[in-house]
Amino acid sequence: MSWNDDGAGQADASGVEYLDGLYSYALVLTRNHAEAEDLVQETYVRAIPAMGRLRVGGNTKGWLFTILRNVWLNQLGKWRNGPQMIEMDVGDGVADSIVEPSEDSHDLYVSKPEAEQVRAAIQKLPEEFREIILLREYEDLSYQEIASVLDCPVGTVMSRLGRARAKLRGLLSTTLKGSDRPERGGKT
Amino acid sequence: MKRGDDYSATIQLYLDRELSDQDLEEFRAHLEECEACRTELEAEEKLSALLRRSRPLYSAPGALRARVMQAAKSFSSTTVHGPVRFRKRFATVLARPLLAARHWGALAATILLIATSLLFVPGFLRQASANSYIETAVAAHRSFLNGSLPLEVQSDSPSVVTEWFAGKVPFALRLPRSAEEAEHQQVYRLTGGRLVNYKGGYAALVAYQMQQQKISLLVSSSRSAVAAGGEEVPSGGLIFHYRKQANFNVITWSNHGLTYALVSSLAGAGRQSCLVCHQSMSDGGRFSAHQ
Repeated sequence: MSWNDDGAGQADASGVEYLDGLYSYALVLTRNHAEAEDLVQETYVRAIPAMGRLRVGGNTKGWLFTILRNVWLNQLGKWRNGPQMIEMDVGDGVADSIVEPSEDSHDLYVSKPEAEQVRAAIQKLPEEFREIILLREYEDLSYQEIASVLDCPVGTVMSRLGRARAKLRGLLSTTLKGSDRPERGGKT
Repeated sequence: MKRGDDYSATIQLYLDRELSDQDLEEFRAHLEECEACRTELEAEEKLSALLRRSRPLYSAPGALRARVMQAAKSFSSTTVHGPVRFRKRFATVLARPLLAARHWGALAATILLIATSLLFVPGFLRQASANSYIETAVAAHRSFLNGSLPLEVQSDSPSVVTEWFAGKVPFALRLPRSAEEAEHQQVYRLTGGRLVNYKGGYAALVAYQMQQQKISLLVSSSRSAVAAGGEEVPSGGLIFHYRKQANFNVITWSNHGLTYALVSSLAGAGRQSCLVCHQSMSDGGRFSAHQ
C-alpha cells in the first residue's frame, strides 16, 4: 500500500472515504464532538494495520462501523467503572436544540434549515433509534450488514427500524409538511 | 393474502429493497389495488427522501480529516517495523493537541514540558500554527470539492453571506461588496459559505468560483491562526505567503486581525497565482511590480 499526498485513489485502502460516515456515527453515539473525534481516531488506529488482511471484496465499510461501535462499548464499560462526565455539545448549530428539551418545537422547526431540523430530530431519538437510522438512511447498509454491526438478529433490525422511523416521522411532522414545496436546487 | 394492516412490514422491506423477487412482484400487484398501502408507502418515501437530502448527517472536521490522512500516510513508512511500533507512531500522529477532558491529568505534565521548551523557539511555534491552519484549509477545500462539506449558505451576494456568518463565527467578517467596491471587474464570483471546525471553534469557509474552478477561502481570527512560511509575496503593505500543498495552491495572509487561507487548483505559482485573479484588476500591478 502506498499513499499519495492528496490521498486520491487511496481511499479503498484506508477507509478514509468513510470518515464522514464514521464521524456521524460517532456523534450519534456520543453526542459530543471531542469524544466523537477520539472514537473515530481510535477506530482508524485499530483498523488501518489490519486493512491488508481484509479479504478482497470484504465489507470494509461494515467492518469499520463494527470496530467503531465496539470501541464505543468498551469505553462505555470503562467509564461506568469510573467517574462519569456528561457533555452534550453536538453542534453545527443544533446543540441548543438537543440540550434544551423544553424548547418550543414549532419555533425550532420553522426557524432552522431543513438539514438542521433533521439533525436535531435525530438527536432527540433514543440511542438505539439514532444509530439504526444513521446506518440505514445515511450509510445505506443492508439489514444483514446492520445486524452484523449491532450484533443482533435481522428481525430486530427490521422492527427497531420501523419504530425509529415512526418516532422520527412524528418529530419531523412539521418539516415533512413543509417539504411538499418544490425541492431546492443544488442540494447534495 | 395478507390484510391491509399486515402490509406495514412489507412496505418497509420494499422501501429498503429487502424483498425477494417473488415477494416484490406480489407486493407491486397489491399496490396497484390498495390505496391505503400506496398512501403509507408515500409517507415512508417522503421521510426517507427528507433524510437523504440532509446527507451527510455530519461532516468530519477538516483537522480530523487531515490527521487521519497524515496518519494513514505514516502507515506505509512504518509497516516494516511491525505492528506495535506502528501503533505507537500512528497514535502519536493522530493525537489531538487537546483530547477529551478525561485525558487532562495525563496530558498536563506533557503539555507543560513541551510548552516550556517551545518558549525558546517562537519561530517554531509560529510555523507549527501556520502549518496547522493550512492543513485545515486544504482538508476543508478537499471536502468541499468532493461534496462532503456542502455549503450552508448558497448565494452570490456578499451581503447575504456576510449576514449569514454574523454571530456564528467569533469575529467580524465582512465580505467586500463586489465590483463597485473593489473598483474592478471581478473574474471570480462568490458562491456561498459554511462553518468549519478549527481549534475548538469555528472558522468561516467562503466559496468562490472562477471559470470551472472552485476556490475556498478559510477565514479565522489571527488569535488562533497565523500566516507564515512559504514563498513571501509583499503587496499593498501585506505579506502573502504562497505554498503548494497536497497539489493545491495555498496563499495565506493576515490583515486587520483576521488570517486568510485561499486554496485552489488555479494555475501558476507564487505571485503568478495571485495574478490569475488580479491581473485584470486595478491592483494587478501590485503583484507584478514587486520582486
